[in-house]
Amino acid sequence: MAVISPPARVRDAAPGPATTPPPGRLLRSRRRAGLLMVAPALLHALIWIGIPLVAAVVLSFTSYDVLTPPRFAGLDNFRDLLGDDVFRRAVLNTSVYTFFTVPVAMAIALLIALMLNAKLAGRAIFRTAIFIPQVTATIAVALVWLWIYDPRSGLANAILSFLGLDGPNWLSSTSWAMPAVIVVGIWQGIGLKMLIYLAALQSLPTELYEAAAVDGASKVRQFISLTLPLLKPATFFVFVTSVIGAFQSFDQVYILTDGGPANSTTMMTYEIYKSAFREFRMGYACAQSLVLFALLLVLTLVNRRITGGDRASR
Amino acid sequence: MEYTRRSVLTALGLGAFAAATGCSASPSGDGQAAADGPAEGEITLLTPIFEGSTGKQLLEGKLLPAFKQKNPNVTVKVDYTTYAALNEKLTTGLAGGLMPDVVMLGVGWIPPFAHKKVLAPLPDSLATRFDYEDRVLEPSRYDGKLYALPLVLDTRIVTYRKDMFAEAGIKQPPKDWAELRAMAKELARTDGSGKLTRVGFDPFSIDLRQCWETFLFANDGNLFDESGQQVKFNDERGVEALQLFLDVIKDKSGDYSFKSAAGQPSTLAQGRSAMMMANNSLWVQLKEQNPELLAEDKVGAFILANKVPAMLQGGTLVARSASTKHAAAAQALVEFMGTPETILPTAAQRGSVPGVQDLRTSDYVKNNGFVKLALDNMNKARSEGGTPAWMEIREKIKTTLETAVVGQRTAQQAIDELANLSKQAISRL
Repeated sequence: MAVISPPARVRDAAPGPATTPPPGRLLRSRRRAGLLMVAPALLHALIWIGIPLVAAVVLSFTSYDVLTPPRFAGLDNFRDLLGDDVFRRAVLNTSVYTFFTVPVAMAIALLIALMLNAKLAGRAIFRTAIFIPQVTATIAVALVWLWIYDPRSGLANAILSFLGLDGPNWLSSTSWAMPAVIVVGIWQGIGLKMLIYLAALQSLPTELYEAAAVDGASKVRQFISLTLPLLKPATFFVFVTSVIGAFQSFDQVYILTDGGPANSTTMMTYEIYKSAFREFRMGYACAQSLVLFALLLVLTLVNRRITGGDRASR
Repeated sequence: MEYTRRSVLTALGLGAFAAATGCSASPSGDGQAAADGPAEGEITLLTPIFEGSTGKQLLEGKLLPAFKQKNPNVTVKVDYTTYAALNEKLTTGLAGGLMPDVVMLGVGWIPPFAHKKVLAPLPDSLATRFDYEDRVLEPSRYDGKLYALPLVLDTRIVTYRKDMFAEAGIKQPPKDWAELRAMAKELARTDGSGKLTRVGFDPFSIDLRQCWETFLFANDGNLFDESGQQVKFNDERGVEALQLFLDVIKDKSGDYSFKSAAGQPSTLAQGRSAMMMANNSLWVQLKEQNPELLAEDKVGAFILANKVPAMLQGGTLVARSASTKHAAAAQALVEFMGTPETILPTAAQRGSVPGVQDLRTSDYVKNNGFVKLALDNMNKARSEGGTPAWMEIREKIKTTLETAVVGQRTAQQAIDELANLSKQAISRL
């Protein structure tokens, strides 16, 4: 079909078709807008995280006691770290603490989220009650648990005594101090995990469950074959944040046990704090921090490889 | 975000610059600023004592107004902390260039801070301004110079229940460790199932570090040599001091888990120990919580002895920062805090020992049996510290010795480990 051009006077009077800017310019313009929007957060991260992180790397190669300027010390701090039995113990304790608190808290949180996902009366109250420990200052939580664990007048041993059992001296026992700290960690960490799982559960497509029900799948089968795989992104997020949080646990140890008895509950963060603020070995504390950072990085990468990260949501 | 080589190098450079500039400022700043001239300006006082409302009321309601009357051009801002957080306050203050002008420190803290020129020396004339008790000024000195004035002292003594002693037919406190151990065995009590209900001797309700030091001194041992460069505690005297704790536990006349919990009455007050290592401030606690024990004369105290009688002398000292911009004002406050008019009410509020001889005749001392005992035995007082590496070493003592107390190591192994750690700390000076 032939193209009919408009008459010349129409061509001259009427405006031409709208022209879009070339693709490159649009992209650059959008990129600029995006950068501007994230600039405040980026600046905040750079000032309060980026610069201190780099400073910590630099200081880890110095002997710095805060009282005098730092002196270059090469790899001395790292060499000392290799021979530091207490720090090795702290790494082990932190790993044990993480190994027990993270999966247990995640499992309990998922269970509670599944229950709260059902249309129960008063579930908002339960949700709030379970979340409250998460938002309560850890110092306050630890102080209360200190009283709970008191061997003579504490609630824990009172309950055990009621059941005919002899409760241990929780926080003075090298065998029981770490389990006691783990219980506090689990208890306090359930809330946020539960909330994330609940949000994830509520976003799952119901038609899949309807189809599964039609196919005769039981609830357990639906949970294993549908719910768990669909929760993978949430699980990845919860796992990574929980591990990072567990590796950075400090308050419970600071209040409950002071790292004792006999270093049985000392954690990496607590050793870093002691090196920096009690022993005035800031350079050494920075070296310890780098070890913590490296461990967390490895764990995150391994977890991402195993779970596929958040690829399932894309 | 894309990471280019340029952006990474820029970040590294920024960080290195921040590390360098943030740390390069020497805390001595103007060096040993002279304290001559008029006392004026606004100064900060960092204190780990004067806790709670009563402490604050005493300091800001009574003492500082009296200081202000004598120094009207000086304003004092108080920063309260506790001994547990004092290190952090000092570290962050130093790192941030906000070192307080006047700082209160514990005994043993002077050598590390004076060695690094964080504190300014005081005129030696202040040492003879008042009649100080024996040995009180020793912890305030470093390298022959006076760096602080004692505010209050806290000693470690052995307290005991006279009623339990009488019940067991024991007429005198033990003269040495062999007697201590024997009496502890005799005084311990168990229930039908063999569980300890009363320990004969509780050495664990005070800090393990300070308890062991008291025993070390009573065994005529030392922590370090005079120069503070050599470790001395790792001979048999230090090992025996720790071994005694293990022996008491082995005898089932002591138990590491029996120690008093924070905020609770002492095991002595509860009747759960017949003898207990204590701070002299226990008297004030007993007066508040168990006055009947004092009224009925059921509590006594003695100085620990083995080869020699010895008493650990701790306490709080007041010193001037070397980097203060108001040296004269800071010095005026230090001098004021070291006067008997300040020392007495501070000691009374805490149950501590005043270190000035003139105050022996005060009603406070006369009515406080533990303080009186401490003052009568000041010539047997020994202090912890004595090395510029003390801040690092003191943190290692409790955790290392604890490994022996809980049975993970022998006393010899624990002392050897502690000596090793101490030597490493000293080598880093």
